[in-house]
Amino acid sequence: MSALTFTLKMIPAQRIDCSPLTPDLLVDQSVSEIAAIELVVGNTTARVDSLFDISGSNKAEIKFLNSSDKLDFVGHNMISGTISIEGNVGAYLGLFLEGGQIEVNGNSGIYTACEMKLGQIKINGNAGEFVGGARPGYKNGMTGGIVIVTGNTGARTGDHMRRGMILIEGNAGDYCAARMISGTIAVLGNVGAHLGYGMKRGTVLLTQMPKQGISANFNDCGSHTLAFLPLLFNSFAKLESKFATTESFSRVQRYAGDLGGIGMGEILIKI
Amino acid sequence: MIINGVTIDETFAEAFPMKGTRLIITALNAKWAMISAQAFTGFATSVIACGCEAGIERELDESETPDGRPGVSILIFAMGGKSLAKQVETRSGQCVLTSPTSALFSGLDNPDKEIALGKNLRYFGDGFQISKMIDGKRYWRIPVMDGEFLTQENTGVHDSVGGGNFLVLAESQIQALEACEAAIIEMKKIPNVIMPFPGGVVRSGSKVGSKFKALNASTNDAFCPTLKGQTNSDLSPEVESVMEIVIDGLTKEDIDKAMRVGIQAVCDLGADNGIRRISAGNYGGKLGPFHFHLQEIMA
Repeated sequence: MSALTFTLKMIPAQRIDCSPLTPDLLVDQSVSEIAAIELVVGNTTARVDSLFDISGSNKAEIKFLNSSDKLDFVGHNMISGTISIEGNVGAYLGLFLEGGQIEVNGNSGIYTACEMKLGQIKINGNAGEFVGGARPGYKNGMTGGIVIVTGNTGARTGDHMRRGMILIEGNAGDYCAARMISGTIAVLGNVGAHLGYGMKRGTVLLTQMPKQGISANFNDCGSHTLAFLPLLFNSFAKLESKFATTESFSRVQRYAGDLGGIGMGEILIKI
Repeated sequence: MIINGVTIDETFAEAFPMKGTRLIITALNAKWAMISAQAFTGFATSVIACGCEAGIERELDESETPDGRPGVSILIFAMGGKSLAKQVETRSGQCVLTSPTSALFSGLDNPDKEIALGKNLRYFGDGFQISKMIDGKRYWRIPVMDGEFLTQENTGVHDSVGGGNFLVLAESQIQALEACEAAIIEMKKIPNVIMPFPGGVVRSGSKVGSKFKALNASTNDAFCPTLKGQTNSDLSPEVESVMEIVIDGLTKEDIDKAMRVGIQAVCDLGADNGIRRISAGNYGGKLGPFHFHLQEIMA
């Protein structure tokens, strides 16, 4: 049984809310019923088959082909199954994700993995601002699961992040780990300005000192060998990511902050 | 049944249900992992007065431990889940947390039944402790004076068996001891079991009950050689010394295997080395529901 595939017919003028197209919601529906689902497009609605060519029937495995950054809310509330996307995807990819896997061969928009709870999202490209963050006005970002970005992430990666892991193979933008509550963000490339601004708890793991250094509201706690790091790297081994092949290290320089707040967060930099 | 001149009594060892778990202690090197493990398993020979029975299962090399450092696997057993939890917590706190460079992990997964490992020890961190979820398991990083103490939050509990045993009856004390030492060497090769008494051997085997009301166990007078003329002795004139090996295991089958190799090692020394009989602590069904029939095990 081949994957249920939605091939976008043309780049839409308006944004499309794709939240009804998840494996869990489609599992009991026939292809004709799926074709008749009305998606919110801008300030109107449109049938799925007016926007996408539909093929395949395995609803546990959904594909979006010829995708566009106008496709929002892909994988919304998804509990199981897989979604793969060829091309870019819009905002709120994997919002409230509770399980399953999403893979994007392209770039994702703002609020990727927003308030995600479990599962895995892999972006084979760049991700926009607020990866793993909380919705505007909300206080808890992602609470579990793993996000892998092979490219770069935008500003405020991990904003209000509560638990889980964000692994960035490229660079992270400004205000990375801002207002972070807990969890782990690891970056193989550079990070932007204001790293850990307002960070409460949690860990940022870097392989190199940021170009601009560490901000004054983080205090140097010295160099240490931390026993949990080999366990963390062991857990990366099963991932399809550069992190799986990154040589494990446990020797780090530890900075604690943001001392403007409770100061229990940490930035660990490989030495 | 006679093996190499050694009589295997037609009797059974009587054992009882316990709750057990396996813990893995790692350290900077094997020496310090062992020191910590020995501290943890100290004063843990018998539930009669120690609250638990614990012992070192085996040493682990770097490839076998969660953090890639040398380690030691230990097993600890208690009469119930609550008493096990108490013993694990106090011993972890006083013997592993305190031990230089140590880290402590669960060596037994059972999501259905867990007890705290570092869950409460974390408060030693006075608010500076850090939680990390790695591969679905929670760990605690507790800041200590030599760096960080890393411990897993919980460990799994396994329905286990305690008190498997056999008695070695020999013509002299030294022959009994050497036979037991040979048995322990072989039994330590069996996974999932420990022999909790000093060096794995107990010379003061007990019977259930006592003439003194305050005691629920007392010397096994039927096997005390100096009482041959004073009590209903189970010893023949040639037997001058009896020693016992007690085995706790995660399953009855594990104890079966350990008893088999242990008794075989004793029998290999045979009558030529003064070994007369193998018997077992049989309390007439008063002690527990698990029965290890010696002749069946050696058949």
